Amino acid sequence: MAKNFALYRIIFYIGIVAVWQILAMAGVWPDNVFPSPYDVAQDLAYGAADGSLFYGIATSMWRLFIGLTLAIVGGIVLGIFMARVEAVNQTVGSLVLGLQSIPSIAWVPIAILWFGLTNGGIIFVTAIGAVFAVTINTYTGVKNINPYYIEAARNMGAKGSQLIISVLIPAAFPYMISGFKQGWAFAWRGVIGAEILFSYLGLGFLLNVGRSLNDVSQVIAVMIVIMLIGLAIDSLLFKRVESKVMFRWGLG
Amino acid sequence: MAKLEAKNIVKYFRYDSHKLKALGGINLTVNEGDFVCLVGPSGCGKSTFLRIVAGLETPDEGQIICNGNLVSGTGPDRIMVFQEGALFPWLKVQDNVEFGLKMAGKPKEQREKISAQYLEMMQLTKFADSYTFQLSTGMKQRVAIARALVMDPDILLMDEPFAALDAQTRDLLLVEMQLIWEKTKKTILFITHNVAEAAVLGTKVVVFSNRPSTIKQEIENDSPRPRMPQDESLIKLQQDILNQLRPEVTKSKG
Repeated sequence: MAKNFALYRIIFYIGIVAVWQILAMAGVWPDNVFPSPYDVAQDLAYGAADGSLFYGIATSMWRLFIGLTLAIVGGIVLGIFMARVEAVNQTVGSLVLGLQSIPSIAWVPIAILWFGLTNGGIIFVTAIGAVFAVTINTYTGVKNINPYYIEAARNMGAKGSQLIISVLIPAAFPYMISGFKQGWAFAWRGVIGAEILFSYLGLGFLLNVGRSLNDVSQVIAVMIVIMLIGLAIDSLLFKRVESKVMFRWGLG
Repeated sequence: MAKLEAKNIVKYFRYDSHKLKALGGINLTVNEGDFVCLVGPSGCGKSTFLRIVAGLETPDEGQIICNGNLVSGTGPDRIMVFQEGALFPWLKVQDNVEFGLKMAGKPKEQREKISAQYLEMMQLTKFADSYTFQLSTGMKQRVAIARALVMDPDILLMDEPFAALDAQTRDLLLVEMQLIWEKTKKTILFITHNVAEAAVLGTKVVVFSNRPSTIKQEIENDSPRPRMPQDESLIKLQQDILNQLRPEVTKSKG
């Protein structure tokens, strides 16, 4: 079965590229509006040859990494506090729900005012876009822990930070993973969006450069790169961690 | 020597504005090396009593004295085996068994030495690297018992640990439990709703009344071991316990 579907997928993508090439060759739209796959591939090759593409990827990934790390650490701390201290849940928790509804891009203006056109501003937008998803999933995860796990752990002498590290976090981890996945998706959108608006290096910046040069094939080339990185991180990182955790819990 | 004393334990269940007296003054003395089985109608508060002994809940009145000390919370001197085992699914069997030792800051080598001993006692050595979902219900309870024994508690508290097992597995564990008790000389407080189980395991069977529960009767049992549920010598005892229980069960339903 799996093999068959892999084959379907290859045929599907070849089909898309073929239709695209035919449409471009038909000359319905001018080249500078609707480039051919070949043009886009050429653009990717140029970007790779002069290193600008790799530099853009590295810059965006680095910002994503810092921003997402901050979001994960902050979200776990906040989520655990909300789940364990009802007063925090009733106060901070309600604010978190509200803040979660703000799209990351909506943080860009205030980030520019606070941080200027700096890395710090872009990382801020990335982190703040992701932190609340991690928070809410961690909260849900800790709330759903089988109470016997906590009682058994306390009975065996776990307390304070031991209880958090040895029981609360691993017991809530299946939920937290969903939070990380959501957080990562928000962070990736956030970093690219912020780079477009800040226009300060990175893949988003390359998109913006393509637009200002009227270079549609560069825009499409960068979009494809953004998509491929997204797919790669999803399947190579999160899916693997998730299936490992699910296996241990007997949910695989 | 009294290992554990419960003095006039009173506990109320609270639902919204309702208050229901669950334990109406439990007085119980458990001596060192005793294997005490508590039986009672369902909902009589026997599990609550065990949780109070463990320090997981506080009584509204009365006190628990363990080893001469007033109980005011959980402690490694009283370790509980939960009904469903409450094993940690994110840890391998061996790491589950070593959990309490790790919390106590014992070095790795020492932990491994101790856990190996109890894994062997519970016939789990082959499963040391398994995750808990890979085990049968009976195996899980063995791990839960090993995890508790590793803590070397003064009293082992067991809350219907065999309730979810099939009959054959239960019979097997009933025999093993007697061997473990003889080998480790632990003081055990064991809750069950199964009369045969109480008759097989206990040196003493304590019958709880319906709510508000008090202790209705304590029956000593010195039949020779190893005992089996089908033993003829236990039939009369099982009848006695049932006769004590029956009116309580009827009351709890009426």
